[in-house]
Amino acid sequence: MAINYNAKDEVDGGHGSNLVVGSHTGPGNAIGGSGPKSRRPDNTAFKQQRLPAWQPILTAGTVLPAFFIVGLIFIPIGIGVFVTSNNIREFEIDYTGTDEKDPCNKCLFWNDTKPCICEINFTLEQPFEGYVFMYYGLSNFYQNHRRYVKSRDDSQLNGDTDSLKNPSKECEPYRKDGDKPIAPCGAIANSMFNDTLELFQMNESSLIRVPLHKKGIAWWTDKNVKFRNPPGGNLSEVFKGTTKPLNWPKPVYELDEDPENNGFINEDFIVWMRTAALPTFRKLYRLIEKKGVLHPTLPVGQYLLRITYNYPVHTFDGRKRMILSTISWMGGKNPFLGIAYITVGSICFLLGVVLLVIHHKYGNRNNSADIPN
Amino acid sequence: IDISLNLCAEAYIPQKYPDNRIVSSKYTFWNFIPKNLFEQFRRIANFYFLIIFLVQLIIDTPTSPVTSGLPLFFVIAVTAIKQGYEDWLRHKADNAMNQCPVHFIQHGKLVRKQSRNLRVGDVVMVNDGETFPCDLIFLSSSREDGTCYVTTASLDGESSHKTYYAVQETKGFQTEEEIDNLHATVECEQPQPDLYKFVGRIHVYQERNEPVVRSLGSENLLLRGASLKNTEKIFGVAIYTGMETKMALNYQSKSQKRSVVEKSMNVFLVVYLCILISKALINTILKYVWQSDPFRDEPWFNQKTESERQRNLFLKAFTDFLAFMVLFNYIIPVSMYVTVEMQKFLGSYFLTWDEDMFDEETGEGPLVNTSDLNEELGQVEYIFTDKTGTLTENNMEFIECCIEGNVYVPHVICNGQILPNSGGIDMIDSSPGVSGKEREELFFRALCLCHTVQVKDDVLVDGQKKSPDSSRSCIYISSSPDEVALVEGIQRLGFTYLRLKDNHMEILNRDNDIERYELLDTLSFDSVRRRMSVIVKSASGDIYLFCKGADSAIFPRVSEGKIDQVRSRVERNAVEGLRTLCVAYKKCTQEEYDEIHELLHSAKVALQEREKKLAEAYDQIETNLILLGATAVEDRLQKAGIKVWVLTGDKMETATTLFKLLKTSLRVLSKDEDLAFIFYVSCRLSNDLQDFGLIIDGAALSLIMKPRQTGSSGNYRELFLEICRNCSAVLCCRMAPLQKAQIVKLIKLSKEHPITLAIGDGANDVSMILEAHVGIGIIGKEGRQAARNSDYAIPKFKHLKKMILVHGHFYYIRISELVQYFFYKNVCFIFPQFLYQFFCGFSQQPLYDTAYLTLYNISFTSLPILMYSLMEQHVTSDMLKRDPSLYRDIAKNALLRWRVFLYWTFLGVFDALVFFFGAYLMLENTTVTINGQVFGNWTFGTLVFTVLVFTVTLKLALDTHYWTWINHFVIWGSLIFYIIFSLLWGGIIWPFLSYQRMYFVFIQMLSSGPAWLGIILLIIVSLLPDILKKVLCRQLWPTATERTQTKHQCLSVEQSTIFMLSQTSSSLSF
Repeated sequence: MAINYNAKDEVDGGHGSNLVVGSHTGPGNAIGGSGPKSRRPDNTAFKQQRLPAWQPILTAGTVLPAFFIVGLIFIPIGIGVFVTSNNIREFEIDYTGTDEKDPCNKCLFWNDTKPCICEINFTLEQPFEGYVFMYYGLSNFYQNHRRYVKSRDDSQLNGDTDSLKNPSKECEPYRKDGDKPIAPCGAIANSMFNDTLELFQMNESSLIRVPLHKKGIAWWTDKNVKFRNPPGGNLSEVFKGTTKPLNWPKPVYELDEDPENNGFINEDFIVWMRTAALPTFRKLYRLIEKKGVLHPTLPVGQYLLRITYNYPVHTFDGRKRMILSTISWMGGKNPFLGIAYITVGSICFLLGVVLLVIHHKYGNRNNSADIPN
Repeated sequence: IDISLNLCAEAYIPQKYPDNRIVSSKYTFWNFIPKNLFEQFRRIANFYFLIIFLVQLIIDTPTSPVTSGLPLFFVIAVTAIKQGYEDWLRHKADNAMNQCPVHFIQHGKLVRKQSRNLRVGDVVMVNDGETFPCDLIFLSSSREDGTCYVTTASLDGESSHKTYYAVQETKGFQTEEEIDNLHATVECEQPQPDLYKFVGRIHVYQERNEPVVRSLGSENLLLRGASLKNTEKIFGVAIYTGMETKMALNYQSKSQKRSVVEKSMNVFLVVYLCILISKALINTILKYVWQSDPFRDEPWFNQKTESERQRNLFLKAFTDFLAFMVLFNYIIPVSMYVTVEMQKFLGSYFLTWDEDMFDEETGEGPLVNTSDLNEELGQVEYIFTDKTGTLTENNMEFIECCIEGNVYVPHVICNGQILPNSGGIDMIDSSPGVSGKEREELFFRALCLCHTVQVKDDVLVDGQKKSPDSSRSCIYISSSPDEVALVEGIQRLGFTYLRLKDNHMEILNRDNDIERYELLDTLSFDSVRRRMSVIVKSASGDIYLFCKGADSAIFPRVSEGKIDQVRSRVERNAVEGLRTLCVAYKKCTQEEYDEIHELLHSAKVALQEREKKLAEAYDQIETNLILLGATAVEDRLQKAGIKVWVLTGDKMETATTLFKLLKTSLRVLSKDEDLAFIFYVSCRLSNDLQDFGLIIDGAALSLIMKPRQTGSSGNYRELFLEICRNCSAVLCCRMAPLQKAQIVKLIKLSKEHPITLAIGDGANDVSMILEAHVGIGIIGKEGRQAARNSDYAIPKFKHLKKMILVHGHFYYIRISELVQYFFYKNVCFIFPQFLYQFFCGFSQQPLYDTAYLTLYNISFTSLPILMYSLMEQHVTSDMLKRDPSLYRDIAKNALLRWRVFLYWTFLGVFDALVFFFGAYLMLENTTVTINGQVFGNWTFGTLVFTVLVFTVTLKLALDTHYWTWINHFVIWGSLIFYIIFSLLWGGIIWPFLSYQRMYFVFIQMLSSGPAWLGIILLIIVSLLPDILKKVLCRQLWPTATERTQTKHQCLSVEQSTIFMLSQTSSSLSF
């Protein structure tokens, strides 16, 4: 035995001094040089792969209750969501005016310097209670086109003076007008929705204007943190040296009279700047506050929508809509979630039953098959 | 001294010799960065990602270059740091080697110099215990007989002391001055890596005489890396230096073996590359179809820049194609390579840490030489094993000898130990005649002289001189353990081999007299001849040739002696399972010897085909022998050695019969175990299998393997293959090393391309180990050569069972899940992005934010799968060990078959459809907030991404069968990390970012009730099919593994207590 031990020492020594050349050397070699004593592995649970462990197995038996539970939870949720969604009042009106008979048809090819104004009558057959939200909707408008999405300068919108004077290259070709930088630059800002929608309740012969609130339509964080006017007192002073986007009739500091809603922090502007995910989208336009418990915000009756039609969409086959909607805890009308929950719940329940049958029918066979093995 | 390296044509070509610097490092300080980068980007995957990154840099692509640059940079940097560190270590080792002092002779004086300054032709002095600084021709030694002892442990792992011989003409030069006066020319072959081959000759010029020519062989060549033992000092002349030394030439990396998993991974990669390209193509084409309307291509609100407008259409289309490629490139993730590498590297530690595979006796645990093949251990179908030393303990015991038909049985003889009651001889069938007595004496002397055993010189080591009488306790060393057993056995019978001194062998005979024999020539052993001879001259002047070898090698050369009696005894012993050797002799006259010597000398001096010429000379010399007798040595089987076939995955009954079959056939067939070579063919999985065994010997095999001239070359081979495959066990005996490799290759290249494993312990198994898919070496007594050349080395054969059944199985299921899961999660990741193109005008708008694109594979979903792939145990290791039929469940790469791959891919596509259209239906043209505000495209993407991260993580959770705290930690931890990261990422206006698109997006999303409902719904819908598939398959078509799991679960309560017990008692029971 003495021979062997001597031999081992030599071998180990040899290993230490010669490096094995090769792309992959396993840990064996790394350990090899450290002498015979440390070669004995530790008897720890981790190294011996014996860590205490929970060993769950998905069998019909364990999954069955889960299926039933999912079914039992999902179906009521689905029904609840579905009912809630159905209780939401929503009214939508397309005012694009591509049809000859549409009142707005005249605005499609408007050549006058005065803005085109068209009026649409409609009837609400059910009362709208609580807060009512007015949206404008656009279709076939690719706000999610890559060239469009990136065509903005967030630091300019955040009030950075350097970016104000020298907007990001991403804004091309809406970066500069001549020598003057555009504020706000980019395609998104340039194509801001600029129709004006006014709502009137028709009461026999008189028109009662429905008060539309333009505050609270943008995310609070956008309005207060992400979008900021450049520092300085007077907005027109601050924006001096910049020019308005090409399509805008007015510069950015004249969007609104209210200084809290002017410049980059104009809420209509902020809403527009949040690019939509899909080519058919709606954006929040105005809020209609509730009148009180007794009166519906928008009672049943005749209404008139007056549109200052500025925004051209027919050139790209687009549509424009005005949407009135009430809101529940789950937002606007959306039957999908409710139906999906009910469907999935039922499927789970059904699968549970099927599995139960299979479990009983085949379970015994398996147990008996186990025995000879 | 002039050295010339001779070419085949014997033409002298002036050589430029390198200096003696060993350079194992790959890089220098200056070229590290460019060279390392070049090396790394030669890997196809890295190159692909580099291209993607460059494309992102050059053209206007949807995602920032950071998304692919950061992961790539990470991967490259980590690899570079690792390689740089390794290279630094190599530099250090090189420096230590190159700067170590060397004594050498300059103008008759001893000079110390650094090793790197050594040049070819320098005369070097090496002291005891030092290693040789370069390859040296051995000139002289402090030992009078001109020999020295050398151990080559660090070269080939053979720890025995080998004897080297000084050149006859120079061995007298003892001092520096004498050496300096030597004039000689050395001619030798070009450097070549074979450690055991060297041919050359030396011309020694003695004053005005004709130069004396001497042949130089490997016995004169002292190799760099070997070290001097038991010899005070030697002189040698440097012949190969630096990178031309045999050691340096041997440091070439072995050819890389690739595992099946890696091959399937590459195939899947190609599939995904095709998917990627077709996706990009489809989108490019659709983009141009869609854009053919000008108002779509460039509506008034979204104008192009002037330069964009003027770009050539084809150039535009091409850049669009590249942009789509970049957008979808995550489908082939960089991180998969990193994770796979990490899994393999870290995973292999579990093998080396395994206590069950640690051998107390030798203090050795398993060694992992490559972690590339871990999972291949789970795929083995055929096991080829060498019997000697692998199945057996290599602990030889001299059992009996038979002289002229008389059988001698020593009482108790054990390897290396003297037992008190030994020494006597039982004479069975004792009727020795006069000639019998003489033959008996000759026989014992033959055994005493005909070997290559060395005596370990205790005198020098201990420093205290022992009297010759006590030399009975001396220790014999030999590369072949049965030689030791024989010499020791003879010692028990009264003849003790003392030592080899001045070319004289000394033996102590029964009367305690020392007999001296001059060793004239040694006709060394090789596995082709399977015999060896020595020619000795006794004190009385008689010249004898003693020959020892396998019966088949001896009997044809015998002309006299009681052949029949010996043969019958040999056969009887062989049936008993003993190793037998026959001994014969021949007496020569001086004239005959001179003739023999001339023959040998001319063969030895030859520069070309020396081997062949030597073999021919040996053949001529070893004829007309007189048979003396035979010996029998037992080689004990290793405990619990032969249980391999169980793992080949057959039923218990089959296994049991096989066990019996093998047990018996082993007894029958171990006739010539020296060359016996067994391989078990995995039991074919068919149930109608009949347990046939096939036994074939090397000679027959070589007939089968020999290509036939008549053109029907393949016939025998195929027939043989067919027979082999229908047998449950095949034994091949008397195989040459190359034949072993041939057999492995034959099976490897057969129709089904089965995965082969070869296991062996000796140098003769190396070829087979290198040939097989997985080569395993036994760290045994026959040196370390097998272990060094193997992919994995284990201390004992019995460890193979756990290695394959448990570790191999685990490695395989882990890595296959890793590979499938990686593709799955990236399909889930990228397919929604593909779908989104249909809704954004094919404008390459990414669905997810840059941070999500970058971090998805790096941090959100990386750790759970890595930990899974290190920790998963779908069945406990005890179960795997107990029930080898489970191994069948993963045979033939079962978890990476096309069917499985397609299932995962379709599951990924399904999940992606659910994510995308779920989010689409939820957010399209409506609001989901309580205050009526609307969400934008980034919220849409974040919703999809949230569902995605949760689904793929929970999918892994469903697949995890072994939940340790680590799994809990990484799975729930990475989900929590995702949430925290998203909150942070959207919670602050990040000053270094040019865009703030994610500001409060995540928080706003979470503030919406329907988003929560939607996320839960979509996750459940995505996971549902997989759960259903799992449950139904388990219920209706359970695999053996699943049955075991279910059974295990029924017992889970008891099992857990047993588990705890086994944990505490494990150190005792294993």
